[in-house]
Order: sequence, then structure tokens, then C-alpha cells
Amino acid sequence: MDPLAVAILATPAFVASAVEFVEATTIVLAVGVTRGWRAPLLGTIAATGTLAIIIATLGVALVTIVPELLLKGVVGALLLLFGLRWLRKAVLRFAGIVAIHDEELIYRREVAELRAQGLRRKEFDWVGFLVAFKAVLLEGTEVAFIVIAFGAAGGTALTAATIGAIAAGVFVIALGAALRKPLTMVPENWLKFGVGAMLCSFGVFWFAEALGMEWPGDALSIPLIVATFLLASWLAVRMLRALLPQGAHVEARNV
Amino acid sequence: MFRAIWSTLVGLLVDDGQLAIGALLALTITWAIARSSGDQGREVSGWLLLAMVLALVVANLYRAGLSVRARASSARR
Repeated sequence: MDPLAVAILATPAFVASAVEFVEATTIVLAVGVTRGWRAPLLGTIAATGTLAIIIATLGVALVTIVPELLLKGVVGALLLLFGLRWLRKAVLRFAGIVAIHDEELIYRREVAELRAQGLRRKEFDWVGFLVAFKAVLLEGTEVAFIVIAFGAAGGTALTAATIGAIAAGVFVIALGAALRKPLTMVPENWLKFGVGAMLCSFGVFWFAEALGMEWPGDALSIPLIVATFLLASWLAVRMLRALLPQGAHVEARNV
Repeated sequence: MFRAIWSTLVGLLVDDGQLAIGALLALTITWAIARSSGDQGREVSGWLLLAMVLALVVANLYRAGLSVRARASSARR
């Protein structure tokens, strides 16, 4: 297996998974800082175990049992739908129409809610356990979907997507553990913008492949499709900024 | 996972309904052309889908921009 090819194939899964891991890490950090680390860490481990079972059974079954072209067609269509939603939201955020996702605000809100619920020192902290479990499982299912989606071609693609997602998890969790505060420095909207474009591109690529199209240069055409999506989205941001009158950005957020 | 897929699809249909319907329409048109036009249709299907989706995104955002502009100006009055 060529390490360079694996690295290239792993990159979309790494970036897409990193976004989900940042959101889960923010919640786990909020629980740990507020209520102690034992319960949220156990919740995280339990959720990770559950996810591993889901991926091992469902993911492998999907990739090995379902015919490749059918899988590519269905996954391609789903990727396109998911990607369009991410891309649209990212464009609206860059244009100032929708508020930027604020990890610091989410963290503070979570801490306040958890403090309000109180904590008895002698009992196991089920609230902390469940909040962490839920957050990791929820964001983790999205990571599982990303892995299955980017690895839908099977073989090297699935291995690379898994490596990318694990690397993203290790990277984000290590960063969160080292800093012990929300990862506000991660340019989340830029990541979502890029991931949205990548999801759409893979969606178009695989759906067309499922219909029997041979792309020029095979997977080499993916960067071209991604660049086309990014260019169109960037033009859309500029178009929206030009459309909105001066001063409308703040008002529009409240509409 | 199915819950995540389901909530995204519902979110798409409820929040971004026109975009979702447009995307499903683009996928259906691409599939129909690839099926009915033989090899030639299959070879252009990807580019056709790409063009339709890009047009859809830009049109949808343009419409969203117009809607926000209308709301912003009526809020000022």
C-alpha cells in the first residue's frame, strides 16, 4: 500500500472528522472541567466502544455485502445532500447572514447548565457520564458515516478513511487535553466550507461512477471538482455580500 | 448512524427544502440521461450533474440573499 496514496485518500476523512471531534471535545471538556474527569472519560470510552461495534458490523457489512456500484450511487447521493447543506451554511456564515459557530459560547453554556444541575461528591456522576456519552456518540456517528462514505470504494479507500478519522481524533483530543479549554482557534467555518465542497465533490464523483462514467484521470479529477465547488461558493459569498445593504449583516443575523 | 442520516435528511427537507428537492431532481435527471442516452450520456453524466448542482447552489443562495435583504429593509422601516 503506497503511503502517499493513503495520505491523500485519508485527508478528506481527517478534515471532516476533525470538525466533529472538535464539537465532541468541547462538550467533554465542559463536563470534565465542571464535574471532574472520571465520569466524562468513562462516558467517552463507552461511546467509543459503541461506535467501534457500529462501524465493525454495519460499516464492514455495507462495504462487503452491498454491490459496489449500488453503494457508490447511494453514498454519492447522500454525500451530495450532506455536503450541500454544509456548504450552504458555511457560505451563509461567511456572508454574515448566519452567526458563526462559537465553540467558546457553547462551552460556557454547557458549563453553566452542568453547574446548575449540581453534583453530589459520593455518587457516580451519571449526568456527566451521559452528557459525554451522548455527545461522543452523536458526533461519532457522523464520523462513522464520514468513514463509510469516504471509504465506500472499499480496500485502500476504507483503510485510508479509517486512518484519517483516527488521526483526527488523536490530534483533536490531544490538543483538547493539552489546552484544557475549547478549541476556539480551529477555523471551524473554513473547515466546514472545505469539507462541504469535498463531500459534494465525492458525491458527484461517485454518483457518476455508479452510472458508469469514467472520469478523466479517475480520482485525479476530484481536486478539479473540489476547486470548482470552492470557486462557485466563494463567488456566492461575494454575491451575497454585495446583495446585502451596508449594515444589514448584523440585522440579518437577528431576522 | 441511521438517526444522523435521518435527521440530516429531515433537516434538509425542512430547513433547506428547495436545495434538497433540487439536488434530488438533479440526481434523477442525471440518472435518467445516463440510462437513456447510452455510452455518450454516461460519459457526460458527471459533468452534467456538477453543472446542475453548481447552478442550484448559486441560485439557492441568491434567493436566500434576496430574502434576507427584503427582511432587513422591512425591519429598518
